[in-house]
Amino acid sequence: MDKRIKPLLAAAMMCAALPVLAAEIVVVVNPKNPASRMFSEQAAQFFLGKSTLFTPIEHTEGPLRNEFSQKVLGKDSAQVKAQWSKLVFTGKGTAPKEYGSSAEVKKAVAADVQAIGYIEKSAVDDSVKVILTVQ
Amino acid sequence: MTMKRMCCALAALSATSFAIQAGAQESGPTVTISGFGTAALTSTDTNDAEFIRPNQASGVKKDWRTGVDSNFGIQATVKVNDMISFTGQGLVRKDAIDHYRAQAAWAFAKFKVNDEFSVRVGRMGAPIYMISDFRNVGYANNMLRPPAEVYRQVTLDSFDGADLLYQHSFGDTSLSVQLGTGRADVDLPSQTIEFRKAIMLHVIAENGPFTLRFGRAQADFSLVDNPSLAGLLATLRTVGLGTVADMMPARDVKGTFTSVGGTMDWKNVVLQAEYAMRRTDTLLVQDTNSWYAMAGYRFGKFLPYYYHGNITQKSPRSVAGLPATGPLAPITFAINGPAGLAKAALQSSDAIGVRWDFYKSLALKVQVDHIKPKDGAGAFINPAPGFQGSVNVYAVALDFVF
Repeated sequence: MDKRIKPLLAAAMMCAALPVLAAEIVVVVNPKNPASRMFSEQAAQFFLGKSTLFTPIEHTEGPLRNEFSQKVLGKDSAQVKAQWSKLVFTGKGTAPKEYGSSAEVKKAVAADVQAIGYIEKSAVDDSVKVILTVQ
Repeated sequence: MTMKRMCCALAALSATSFAIQAGAQESGPTVTISGFGTAALTSTDTNDAEFIRPNQASGVKKDWRTGVDSNFGIQATVKVNDMISFTGQGLVRKDAIDHYRAQAAWAFAKFKVNDEFSVRVGRMGAPIYMISDFRNVGYANNMLRPPAEVYRQVTLDSFDGADLLYQHSFGDTSLSVQLGTGRADVDLPSQTIEFRKAIMLHVIAENGPFTLRFGRAQADFSLVDNPSLAGLLATLRTVGLGTVADMMPARDVKGTFTSVGGTMDWKNVVLQAEYAMRRTDTLLVQDTNSWYAMAGYRFGKFLPYYYHGNITQKSPRSVAGLPATGPLAPITFAINGPAGLAKAALQSSDAIGVRWDFYKSLALKVQVDHIKPKDGAGAFINPAPGFQGSVNVYAVALDFVF
């Protein structure tokens, strides 16, 4: 193979691979929710059960949830689970409902004024409002 | 209950929990069932004394046994609406009665007044210690078991009464306050303790990876159903040692327990420590200061840790003026002897362990404790004559939640 094509090919492959490795995640709320933007520290409060102002909607375990846990909550999913088990088994909190896809999370957020969830940016539509883009 | 039966029960319950949750997604009362447990094996390097968790009637020696560190809990919450919910939790473990038995750990109604205030009525976990509420949930803790130096000072798990929960955020800091009042009867292997007019305060401030906790509990307690203690006190009065009996009241005694603690989970560094002071108006329940400190470092799914715990006694370890010889010598021995009434169980522990989150909702822990009893048998029971320790305690535990 031509030496000049090789790096090009590699670059093309990386471009193709990138969206799969790192789908952009956005945090969404119900359009009726008055909040317009939020820091990730604030969003983390809800997903770790430290505030009950909003109701978190979770994904079932998978790459999207792992990425959100790492980037926004600063913990791996086992640590998040341990944190919730403290709240659940002291009767102080109820673990978030879990859904298997961004479409289902979006539907749950659209159905509950108090809800807060996260989905792939590509799944965003009018039924939800984006308040944070995860960096 | 054997381990095998526990596992079968677990499998059955997991299946029902999915079914119930699936059936209750729509509006109206929702039922959530969740559970936790630990399947563990424990042993020591001595046959001269038994290692127990606080309040157990029998423990382990050199033979590996499941009884000390295994438990199984199941919890159901019925959420009637946004304001009212009912929660019940059952716990199976070995304690003062020497076989696995189920207890109603708690059963309460919760009224959510607003986003900041809730009121609970019923049987609730007593917030004596920093991890009181979830100390039985192995998965929620890093250490294999709560350090005994601190966690055996007050044997009160739950109380019947009411409490007020308050939660508020001040900027990045969230504050939660729990103030409860009520009563409890606790069965110990040798007696029953009746706690009355208990007041418990539990304050937690959280900021990012840092948590600070203050706790204060007080109650009037009575030691009842203990014929040998009653006999001893009566004898003291008969033989003219009423002043000594007066130092050992067993009914309606005021006791307090004050503690501070903190945790940190920053980057990969995990720290946890508590300091606690027990004070009572009777020599039968000695004044003690106790503490532990734990440090760990997270390597991916592995969290190796070390902790040290210690306890010291603040009240006198013997009563002066008792005859060392003659017919009353047995009474003196019962009070001032190596396991006498005036002596708190003193010991220190050094432990190393590792938690491995090897699969979702499952954690495997291995822990080795090196326990040094001081001036007696420490927290070990049924010591052989002349037992002095040190003892190594080995444990492997599988923690799960569902």
